[in-house]
Amino acid sequence: MKTRWWGWAAAAAISLWVLLPLYLITVSAFSTQEAVYGWPKTAAPQPVSLETLRFFFSVQGVWHGIRNSLLAAVATVVLSALLGTPAGYALARWAFRGQTAYRMLILLTRAFPLVILSIPLAQQFIRLGIYDTVLAVALVHTALALPFSVLISASIFHGIPRELEEAAWTLGCSRLQAFVKVVAPLALPGLAAAAVFAFVTSWNEVFAASILTLRERTLTAYLLSVLGEAPLPFRFAGGFFLMVPAVVFLFFIRRYLFSLWGVVSR
Amino acid sequence: MAGIVVQEVEKTFGKVKALDRVSLEVGDGEFVVLLGPSGCGKTTLLRVVAGLEETDRGRVIIAERDVTRLPPRQRGIAMVFQNYAVFPHMTVFENVAFGLRMQRVPEPEITRRVQRMAELVHIGELLDRFPAQLSGGQRQRVAMARALAVEPDVLLMDEPLSNLDALLRLEMRAELKKLLSELETTTIYVTHDQVEALSLADRIAVMEAGRIVQVGTPMQIYHEPANTFVGRFIGSPPMNFLLVRLTPPGPDGVRQAEDTGLAAPAGFASDEILLGIRPEDLEVVQTGPGTAAGGGESPETGPRLAGCRVSVVEPLGSHQLVTVEWKGQPLKVTAPVDMHLAPGDTVGLAPKTARVRWMDPVSGNAVGGAAGNAVA
Repeated sequence: MKTRWWGWAAAAAISLWVLLPLYLITVSAFSTQEAVYGWPKTAAPQPVSLETLRFFFSVQGVWHGIRNSLLAAVATVVLSALLGTPAGYALARWAFRGQTAYRMLILLTRAFPLVILSIPLAQQFIRLGIYDTVLAVALVHTALALPFSVLISASIFHGIPRELEEAAWTLGCSRLQAFVKVVAPLALPGLAAAAVFAFVTSWNEVFAASILTLRERTLTAYLLSVLGEAPLPFRFAGGFFLMVPAVVFLFFIRRYLFSLWGVVSR
Repeated sequence: MAGIVVQEVEKTFGKVKALDRVSLEVGDGEFVVLLGPSGCGKTTLLRVVAGLEETDRGRVIIAERDVTRLPPRQRGIAMVFQNYAVFPHMTVFENVAFGLRMQRVPEPEITRRVQRMAELVHIGELLDRFPAQLSGGQRQRVAMARALAVEPDVLLMDEPLSNLDALLRLEMRAELKKLLSELETTTIYVTHDQVEALSLADRIAVMEAGRIVQVGTPMQIYHEPANTFVGRFIGSPPMNFLLVRLTPPGPDGVRQAEDTGLAAPAGFASDEILLGIRPEDLEVVQTGPGTAAGGGESPETGPRLAGCRVSVVEPLGSHQLVTVEWKGQPLKVTAPVDMHLAPGDTVGLAPKTARVRWMDPVSGNAVGGAAGNAVA
């Protein structure tokens, strides 16, 4: 079983690579400020303390950043859902010309380097008068999340048998009513997963947020800007706070991600 | 209560002509079965009547209203799908009530009608369950109850029994027949199972390659098939077709089918004809010393196919299915259980004259067809 051994070893190594930093950050975030500076590190915070986190929240600009991050993330979720879900439905229910090309194109937008786009984008936003607003950030984040919103919702609608809608039509529903009463309730869990994905994409995005804002920074952009001068506890606390939503949400929706990837989990 | 008229409907999918100028009339309260092999267009025709497919040409009229351009919800129909399409996120009660709620029927009335319908299909105790907790047969009944609860003018059913196991299918068939004859709803039922069709239908429309090939009562379809396709598709085992030469006209001007003792149908011009006869309409006569060695009609015995060599004997419990060869052509015959037959035996076959069906070898169509059959 040589392959198995290698497989397990590789999986363990990759998991450690990701999990160890997360673990260290969590430990430090819940330690006293002195413990953060201390060495060697203990396996668990001793004592458990909210000092570091409190310090983090007391710094000016942090709450403002959190507020902006939240606004941008929520706006991203709403916009990508509003635009992506109908597109996904169309992809799933109709066979139209250029369908495959469309799917490919959508994914390709993600392949386009944001670095190259960012300066022209900033210029456009300045011209439109929305530079340095949460809206600008939300728009870019929506563009980033949209491909997945479209493709995830397409695969969800694909999984809902057309016959259910047809049955609803024969029982008195218009197309829209059938969608609302039959398709939407069944699609909701999967669409929720797509929404969470959009949220996390926006929450963790730092590059566009940094370029497009000056004073209305999201938390990620803000932290990046002050990272150089920040003391260690601040960095750990910031890191912890940034990673928490992603980890928590992914934990809840992993079941849907699995079914999307074809894995059955109980 | 409503009749259905389908007029010259055409439907093409890409390059495939699914429906080729199809016309059909269904009377009020009638149970018509669309029967045919896979791909013949029967489901497409059903969906056209339902409004789930648009026609390229032609009209659909339900209860004397032209519904061709109307969506399903405005046609007064209800449909039972092959995979039941029961809503998984609603209880049985909510499923059955769905159509009634869409019609804004008052709640007390809904409860009453749902209960009644559930009792009729024997799912009364399951009203609080979700579809995932039900068996296939129970889900099928939920789909039925849901369609019937709205008391539609027309009921459309797309192979509703085909996903059930054999025993359950048999039970449900009988239940369905009883239920629908009580309700007297105009029904179109699609199936590829000819036994189902024969058992349930008032009339059967046999379809092949996008056309209706014959419409008639089950007995008409069975005993008077319009062509070889229908003869072979209906009945298990299928109808036998033997290629027979025709003798020149005798003194009475009548031609005979060679070596059969049967008179050819009048007015048939060609020299060869197909003799169609069902296995159960041939009587096995065991040849022994003293019987006619050649075929033909002898005064005592009637028409006879002589010199048939038995090749296979299949005991089927209630009868034996015997495969014989006559002049090199294989055919199947049923024989009583107590008749001793073995491969290699030579027997004679006496056809029931009234049951013989002559077909044109070239076109496959019946010759001298009986009245009352519509052939498209």
